[in-house]
Amino acid sequence: MSKNFFEIKNVDFNIDGKTKVKNVSFSIEKEGDVICLLGPSGIGKTTILRTIAGLERIKKGSIELNGKVLSSEKINIEPENRNVSLAFQDNSLFPHYDVQKNILLGTEKNKEKIEKKIDVKEIIDLLDISHILNKYPHEISAGEAQRASLARSLMTQPDLLLLDEPLSNVDQSFKEEIQVRLKKILNKLKISTIIVTHDSYEAFYLGSKCGIILNQELKQFDDPYNVYHLPNSIEVVNFLNRGILIPAEVTSPKSLENKDLGTITGNFNKPFPIGSKVKLLVQPEDLHHDDQSNLKFEVIDRKFRGTNFIYTLKTPSNLLIPVFVHSHHIHQHEENEKFGIKRPIHIDHIVCF
Amino acid sequence: MRINFWYISSLFISIFVIIPTLTVFLSFFESTSNYYGILRDTFLFEYISNSIILLISVLLLTFLIGTGTAYLVSFYEFPLSNFFKWALILSFAVPPYIYAYSLTAFFENYGTAYSILKNLFGDKNYNLYIPKFDGMIGVILSLSFSLFAYVYILARASFLYQSQNFIDLGKNLGFTNFKTLYSIILPAARPAIVAGLSLVAMETLAEFGAVDFFSINTLTTGIYNSWITFDDLAFANQLSFFLLLFIFALFILENLSRNKAKYHFNSKGGFKQKQKLQLKGTKSIAAFLFCFLVFFLSFLFPLSQMLYWTIKFPENLFDLQIINLLSNTLYLVILSSFVLIMFSLISNYGNRVTKNKTLNILSTLSISGYAIPGVILAVAFITFIAWFDESVVKNLGLFSIKKIFIGSILGLVLVYFVRFYSLAFNGIKSGYEKINISVDESSYLLGYSKRKTFMNIHIPFLRNSLLFVCILISLEIIRELPITLILRPFNFETFATTAYISASEDLLEAAAVPSLFLILIATSFIIITSKYILRDNNE
Repeated sequence: MSKNFFEIKNVDFNIDGKTKVKNVSFSIEKEGDVICLLGPSGIGKTTILRTIAGLERIKKGSIELNGKVLSSEKINIEPENRNVSLAFQDNSLFPHYDVQKNILLGTEKNKEKIEKKIDVKEIIDLLDISHILNKYPHEISAGEAQRASLARSLMTQPDLLLLDEPLSNVDQSFKEEIQVRLKKILNKLKISTIIVTHDSYEAFYLGSKCGIILNQELKQFDDPYNVYHLPNSIEVVNFLNRGILIPAEVTSPKSLENKDLGTITGNFNKPFPIGSKVKLLVQPEDLHHDDQSNLKFEVIDRKFRGTNFIYTLKTPSNLLIPVFVHSHHIHQHEENEKFGIKRPIHIDHIVCF
Repeated sequence: MRINFWYISSLFISIFVIIPTLTVFLSFFESTSNYYGILRDTFLFEYISNSIILLISVLLLTFLIGTGTAYLVSFYEFPLSNFFKWALILSFAVPPYIYAYSLTAFFENYGTAYSILKNLFGDKNYNLYIPKFDGMIGVILSLSFSLFAYVYILARASFLYQSQNFIDLGKNLGFTNFKTLYSIILPAARPAIVAGLSLVAMETLAEFGAVDFFSINTLTTGIYNSWITFDDLAFANQLSFFLLLFIFALFILENLSRNKAKYHFNSKGGFKQKQKLQLKGTKSIAAFLFCFLVFFLSFLFPLSQMLYWTIKFPENLFDLQIINLLSNTLYLVILSSFVLIMFSLISNYGNRVTKNKTLNILSTLSISGYAIPGVILAVAFITFIAWFDESVVKNLGLFSIKKIFIGSILGLVLVYFVRFYSLAFNGIKSGYEKINISVDESSYLLGYSKRKTFMNIHIPFLRNSLLFVCILISLEIIRELPITLILRPFNFETFATTAYISASEDLLEAAAVPSLFLILIATSFIIITSKYILRDNNE
């Protein structure tokens, strides 16, 4: 029997007879942990949640919650008997009940638990939906419907909460605030949660662990910090789209050489033989701007991102390298101008493939 | 696939509804009496040619009346245009056979038209100058004015969803209003109009009351005669087989059109609500007169004729056991609606939760019952019960079951069930289509079982659809004639059968009172449901 609170072992996830994600294994170690699954649209993230909820069956592997097998080749506990709650991405509120009734329906399932943990009013206030309680689903916005649906799911006090793109319809301006509130609620209620999202920042903020699903596989399942700084495959690097891979040669256990950037020092994520030709991951924050440096490249693009600019520099070998510069930096560089890179170049985590 | 209560119930319901169709097809290979030879040499050609003439004429007239009125009320404003919008569907309250009685009563020798002329201009032999709308012309007019609303409702719905952009585009291309109509508006509404005309065609081929009243021999009356007069069930079934083939072709055409119609309605992008054009002068008067004429001829004329005779011959009102007829009619309506709605709900939910392909195909076949004329269904039902009684029940040494099913309320309700199952099934299905499947899944995840989801989530949501379906079924059952006539228990009459019996005995004055009650009850039902029938938005 598994010691983890929740565990998926070697499961193939199928929908309509087609396998969407193969041979997946991951776990939630202790009750109250939140994990996030990241991946492009249509890759099978929702299928994973639906299967965990019992809405789809499995033919291989097993899904266990709190020591009890929920799904396996032979066992399939019906969704209504799992105490797993799924908040759908689309509005799945009951259209003939108002928001209040919809939310209170969630309390019916676990009446004996209600006094123990959850206060309806608190949830309503935290999700800021008090003003829509007497409205019907067709009278509220998609973002409000999503929050109401989330409140209903929370009210069931599930052993495991599944959230499918929970904030995809919430306005950008309100999204961060709701993320903070959601994290607060989940921490307070200690409800183990799996969140599916395509927003990596949301996943890094909410999840204690993140899983990256690409090409029908769970490619990486790790802490958010490691997923970002120590991606385990080129596919994950490409998916996160936070840097580029440039050719380099390993020159010592702590350095490598690139034709345009010169010597780069740091700590390798895994050892490579000296003389190996590798692809080095360069992320925007790895290089630093220095007007005095004699290592200069041409600016071909500048993106303003509020707190910083991302300059795209073109090297003599036609590599396009991204570099962050704080937006309060004393001056800006225009396209076609030269842009200095501080030397010597040191990268804390050298990621090579 | 899991076998559960919902799967088995849905399967059983679908198979039950398909039995009469199967019976007709299997009876095709049985031997028949000499009647076939007699008919082939005498009336068969007449049956077929009359059916075709009737069909083409009614389709043409209903197209002109239905599309014309729908076009006017959808695109223009003129005096009472908003009133005509819903008043034109009141023609549904007048079944073709009652229209036929009114037509005859008004234009016959010394009829109502004669009385009016006599009162206005004194005593003369006006009979020579009053046209006679009987025979084929009478049937065509009765059917057209009674059925045009099918085309009107569907064409209007389609016109309603046509974007103003279409019309603006026509103007931009320099089209006249007429050219915009036939180059843009009509082609865009074609699937809806074809769907309406297909329903008219099915009803026309199935019509029994009016064609029988005017003594026009069609395939449907041929089926009735071969069974009643010659006691030849097998041949009745063989004729039914040919009629069914024809009707199935129309049914498929209608289904294809509906699919395309959906495609048109879903195009929401760039939709611009159109503004109705205010008609002025002679155009306004012409539009008003056209709509008023259609409303008058289709509804006011038969209503006032029946009312006139009821007042003129009040003794018929007192002779008629109104309470008895009303209770019989309501008894059938309530019982049949309950059975239809309950089983259609179960079947719909079964299809939804099992997602089984076989069940889906069976359900699609089972809703073809509406396309089968009532006469055929009644005959097929009797054939099946007779076969089952002979082949199964008697071999088991049990008592005959014929009396339980033939000439009983149970038999009547069962055949109504087959006939109107598609109406109930499709009505509930369209309600179900508005419930996203994730609503069911949310319910399971909230701990509700399938039964609890059905009772606590679906039924409350479908409340309005159920009411609408219930009234539609009631409307059909009140007007229904051949099934009731053939399968009703001895001495059990409804408004429809009483009117038919009086009319077939040439006692049209006596037919007026039950006809009037029938029209009034049907009218009240239509008024209740008019807001659903004439939906002006995407609800």
